[in-house]
Amino acid sequence: MKYFFLSILVLTIISCKKKNDDDLAFQLIYPSYFPTPVYNFKNNELTKEKFELGRKLFYDGILSSDNSVSCGTCHSQVHGFADHNVNFSSGVNNLKGTRNSPAITNMIWSPAFMWDGGVNHIEVFSVAPITNPVEMNETMSNVISKLNNNSEYKNLFKIAYGIDNITDQAMLRALTIYMSMMVSCNSKYDKVRQGKVSFSTDEAEGYELFKQKCASCHSEPLFTNYQYKNNGLDSIYTDLGRGRITFNANDNGKFKVPSLRNVELTYPYMHDGRFWTLEQVLEHYNSGIKHSATLAPELASGLPMTADEKKKIIAFLKTLTDYTIISDFKFAPQ
Amino acid sequence: MKTIKIAIFALMASTLLLSTSCKKEEPTTNGNGQVTINLKHLWGMGTDTFRLNTTYIHPMNGDTMTFSTYKYYVSNFKLKKSDGTWWVHPESYFLVDLSSNSSSLLDLGALPIGEYTELSYTLGVDSLRNVSGAQTGALSTMNNMFWSWNTGYIMIKAEGISPQSTTGNFAFHLGGFSGVNSTVATKTVDFSSNPLTIKKDKISEIHFNVNTAMTWCTSGSCAGTSSVMMPGAIGHQMATDFHNGFVFDYIVE
Repeated sequence: MKYFFLSILVLTIISCKKKNDDDLAFQLIYPSYFPTPVYNFKNNELTKEKFELGRKLFYDGILSSDNSVSCGTCHSQVHGFADHNVNFSSGVNNLKGTRNSPAITNMIWSPAFMWDGGVNHIEVFSVAPITNPVEMNETMSNVISKLNNNSEYKNLFKIAYGIDNITDQAMLRALTIYMSMMVSCNSKYDKVRQGKVSFSTDEAEGYELFKQKCASCHSEPLFTNYQYKNNGLDSIYTDLGRGRITFNANDNGKFKVPSLRNVELTYPYMHDGRFWTLEQVLEHYNSGIKHSATLAPELASGLPMTADEKKKIIAFLKTLTDYTIISDFKFAPQ
Repeated sequence: MKTIKIAIFALMASTLLLSTSCKKEEPTTNGNGQVTINLKHLWGMGTDTFRLNTTYIHPMNGDTMTFSTYKYYVSNFKLKKSDGTWWVHPESYFLVDLSSNSSSLLDLGALPIGEYTELSYTLGVDSLRNVSGAQTGALSTMNNMFWSWNTGYIMIKAEGISPQSTTGNFAFHLGGFSGVNSTVATKTVDFSSNPLTIKKDKISEIHFNVNTAMTWCTSGSCAGTSSVMMPGAIGHQMATDFHNGFVFDYIVE
């Protein structure tokens, strides 16, 4: 009964699609059990033209100093918009950063960005990778100057934003529109929630175990509570994480709880990509917790799990893989 | 409940109409004048205009400093009328960049004629604009006054060379908009004893002296600290010293 409304919505969408397929692909659609997004599109209304412009920018090396690196270089659709299974991404001149590229789906629900939450708004998020010397190594004024010297972009910005001179605000907002549409909400987990399919026995048991052991931080339906936690990776922090932003020693060693949607595709795991398999991650929580001043209290005695329990939790985690978003043609470079 | 709301709304609407119609009958409050903020940058107690690429000796710590960059934000200008209401300058954001002479003259545009007793302004960018996403104009990220990794505008950026610095260079990027180490401050100047009269079609000037050396009056020599790149106690102290060097001087009507 709870999903009666959703089914009606889905039915309406299906019936509408026949009439208006193209327009509908550029609406923001998410399940009724998702919260209201943080980003409200108030100053940046969602349109097809902005989406297509944002997509072009996302896959264009013009945003980097030597035109070699685009957003899509380190945020790949087939990997749930995380990097191509590397611990540290390669930027301009093959320089490497110190943190793992996170999956960037469902960003409009996130109150802050980056592993340390240092960026407070999705519209200014892209400034960080564009200007970071080990990522795109470019200046904002040079990016805008390159775009303004490109007649195709001049035309596309005119159509999408009605401006003759391209501004950083319009460029950042176009990227925001493209990223805001990356809604991952069609995994097996979602289909089960919507009553369309059922979990296997292992998945169902794994789900129950997940709710007992993991869900206090990886809360449904987005599988994160958006808090900053020290999950016991190190007793001496080489990366201060959240503490680097707040300058509060109580935040040292804490990182944003990542969403687990598409977790099967986004390995390696943790802020530094130290674990390559989900088995290693669960074994860390089972037996590898390292104690330090800011360790999350719920992890003080670890999360004891038998081999069978781990297997079932992993079976459940794999139901969070969304094959729709990783194969949706509208997100691909074109 | 709904009826009450409608009644209140009707009352408000009629008050508004009444006040508008009253205004029309009072010719003395009609028309606009203009106001500019004129900033004179001085080094310490010097009387010559402070300039980039000129060598100065700091009056307190004795450092030799040559600046290549000196720029800061001033925002949210408001003027208080003698009736107690405020005229608020819309989109009031200025990046004062000493590499451009014209940026020392801030044009607040047209405002209603009449008597004004107080000026309010903010050094730095108010917290709301620091959390509202991509901006334009003075607040564009192209001005290199924006921290991308820890979102927020830099209040003041001063860079250059000094033999006292161990690296030979100095770079002070003072920012942070929240908490105890905020570098943003709202100030008021009360000139009610000698009010500013905005006259029809006339430009009035409000002059400030900015002592550019004040920023280093507590922090000491570049031999100790020659670089600040993040919010914190030192940035807060230096920003506060900068604020104290930004002083109202006189009005020209």
